[in-house]
Amino acid sequence: MNAALAGILAYFGLGFLGIVFGKGRETAALAILAGLVSLGLWAPGFPEEVVGGPPWGIAVAGDFWALGIWGLALFLHAATLLHAWPKDQLRHALITLLVGTCLAGGISRDLFNLYVVLELSSLLSVILIAYEGRSAAVWAALRYLFLAGLGMTFYLFGLGLVYGRTGLLSLSALAQVETGDMASRIGAGFLLAGAATKTGVFLLGLWLPKAHGQAPTEVSLLLSGLVVKVGVVAIARLVEAFPLGPILLALGILTGFGGILYALRETDLKTMLGHHTVSQLGYMLLGLGVGAWEGTLMYAVAHGLFKGLLFLSAGEAVEKSGVRSIAELSGKIPRPAALGLALGSLAIVGLPPLAGFAAKGLLSLGQPLWVKTIFFSLSVGTAASFAKLIPLFRGQGTGRFGGIPLLDAGVLGLGILGLLLFPELLTLKAWAEAFSAAGLGVIAYLLLRARLPALPKLTLDHAFLAAVLTAVILGSLALVA
Amino acid sequence: MESLSGLSLAVVLAALGLWVMVSRRNLVWKLLGLGVASGGSILFLVALSHRPGVRPPILGLGPGPAADPLPQALVLTAIVIRFATLALALALVILLTEHRHTQDSRRLEEEE
Amino acid sequence: MKFLLVCGLAGLLGLLGAGLIGIWPRPEFPDSDPVAKAWGVANAVAAVVLGVRLWDTIFEVLVYVVAMVGVRFFLLGMRWHGELPPVAETPLLRRSADLLLGPVLVFALYLVASGHIGPGGGFPAGAILGSALLLLALAKGVERLSAELYEPRLERLEYVVVVFLLFLGAVVLILGVRAPAAFVAANLLVAVEVAIGAWAVLHRFASARGEV
Repeated sequence: MNAALAGILAYFGLGFLGIVFGKGRETAALAILAGLVSLGLWAPGFPEEVVGGPPWGIAVAGDFWALGIWGLALFLHAATLLHAWPKDQLRHALITLLVGTCLAGGISRDLFNLYVVLELSSLLSVILIAYEGRSAAVWAALRYLFLAGLGMTFYLFGLGLVYGRTGLLSLSALAQVETGDMASRIGAGFLLAGAATKTGVFLLGLWLPKAHGQAPTEVSLLLSGLVVKVGVVAIARLVEAFPLGPILLALGILTGFGGILYALRETDLKTMLGHHTVSQLGYMLLGLGVGAWEGTLMYAVAHGLFKGLLFLSAGEAVEKSGVRSIAELSGKIPRPAALGLALGSLAIVGLPPLAGFAAKGLLSLGQPLWVKTIFFSLSVGTAASFAKLIPLFRGQGTGRFGGIPLLDAGVLGLGILGLLLFPELLTLKAWAEAFSAAGLGVIAYLLLRARLPALPKLTLDHAFLAAVLTAVILGSLALVA
Repeated sequence: MESLSGLSLAVVLAALGLWVMVSRRNLVWKLLGLGVASGGSILFLVALSHRPGVRPPILGLGPGPAADPLPQALVLTAIVIRFATLALALALVILLTEHRHTQDSRRLEEEE
Repeated sequence: MKFLLVCGLAGLLGLLGAGLIGIWPRPEFPDSDPVAKAWGVANAVAAVVLGVRLWDTIFEVLVYVVAMVGVRFFLLGMRWHGELPPVAETPLLRRSADLLLGPVLVFALYLVASGHIGPGGGFPAGAILGSALLLLALAKGVERLSAELYEPRLERLEYVVVVFLLFLGAVVLILGVRAPAAFVAANLLVAVEVAIGAWAVLHRFASARGEV
């Protein structure tokens, strides 16, 4: 435990030293090193311990969630640093602080500590989204801040109800006591609503993609790849303590298909990728709902890698050409970025031997037929939406590599590692399923292309309303479930 | 049931803040609404630490059992976080006003 | 939409109300006196904030500093071009600022020094120090005071204070040091931190004032 705490403190300390001395890049590199040393010291994990001691200390544990988040965070931070090396120093210092926050979120097992971590990550995300000062980005950042603030208000009410009834904040202690009474149930619903609003699932998935799409390249990568995963871990911790499984199933289906529906219509490349982050969150929620913990974690890590790759390549393409819409980008993308886009798209659709295939296979391993059917149709939808990127896969001329090769290697390496570790995935049936989903998706895209329905335009007020409704719906569902 | 008044006031404040957030179009009003709503959540937490006949949680300060210090400590944290959030949001509103010359959320959406 | 909102808010009120009734009977909570004694202080809330849950408090300070970094960063290049609307200056305000400044400062220091044995602590003290600066700014004019309190140096001090606080956190949490001195030090660091942050925000917002 001490190694993990020291690693996190070192991350923050180095971040601030980077601000003081104007050497954000160098301290970020040192911080990654410190994080790796710390991870190496506690590596196979540590049992739950209470920082500060009983009765009111903060429970932390180095379980497999923590391990996955730490590995993902350090890898993505390294890719970000490599890619954004020429950019300014303060940005790197703030990114170091953001990654440090996510590391802390990975080990936290305390309701209030999770609240503090989520708040810190939203503030840092907001600053980084609006960093370049374009007015669309500032507006997206402000919207994100409003929604995160609202979500955290619900979270605090839920925390108050649970604490008021049980007197506990530690999630593992809550898992052991009876939480079937009215106050704890409603409280759990509100906690979930808060975490869901912050993560951008269910109704709120309609707004967060805009923030992901407007952010600078390396920030989009971290937001979609890492910050969202901390929300997923928070939801996973809540599910361990409270009986929220069936609700997550419903949320997962709605989130997955809702994200695809919006992504199909989207013409802005980065915003479309943001909508797909939402649809992929649907997989993770479904995995949590059916109790496939390892599969969900594997999916979270794999998604972090391939979505990071997609955002990095898309951001590189958009920065280089100065246009954002998919149609105009065709033929203007440098080769490394085009290769990254192609590899990332194949991985997100779930084709072997990439990370997406291994993660999807592990997630649906041993699940009943109806769960597999949902996963399959989500894959078809994803393929249908990504089919419109096919013209972008042909690169023109050379360009900067940046962190793209690192993430290329990550996506490929994790996929092959998954295949080696789980030989069940090497069957003809699994491969045929993956390819048929992709093929069906492309056919669906060609059929649907001209006749997609127009979706309503949504404003900030709708978002607030959606947040209120999320809290009410999740609270009532938790009460009756 | 002694802390019921504080707790129910907190709930009412949250609803009031949410109402302001949705019904007003000006961003500063929306921020005020968010402030009131999150203030409600903070009041909710601190009201939980009250029990009948308790003394302040300081050694040697009066007879009887001490009040629960945990919600008070949590609230201290939550207040600072709320202050920080509102300050940052206000800075963003100023920046946005400078760029777009309006604080009307609907006009900001339309021009996007 | 109004209709949906009214339904939603009614549902919210209902749910929270039902939850409220449901929190009784309340659970027993542990006695705070042994915890306070174990940490060597009299104020149990201080023992929780700066001892037992120091891990949370570190994040709280980080949230505060990060927000201040953001405010500074976004408002940095922003000055109202043209004549700044003048801040009204009255003899009464100047006189009372002169009179009040000393006692306010002493009170803030008292809160820092006694935060571990009674009500008080770093956050209130820092807020009071910040408002003392506000008082001064109202009396002297924001521009004059911000020229005197040279900000980049203060800003650097703020970040260095955070690094010290992280170090103190490592000493208390990892090495397990429990001493009243650590509490006074933490209170002092937090107070300096909060005061500088509050001044920075005030100063930035005041310099960016103007009309839409």
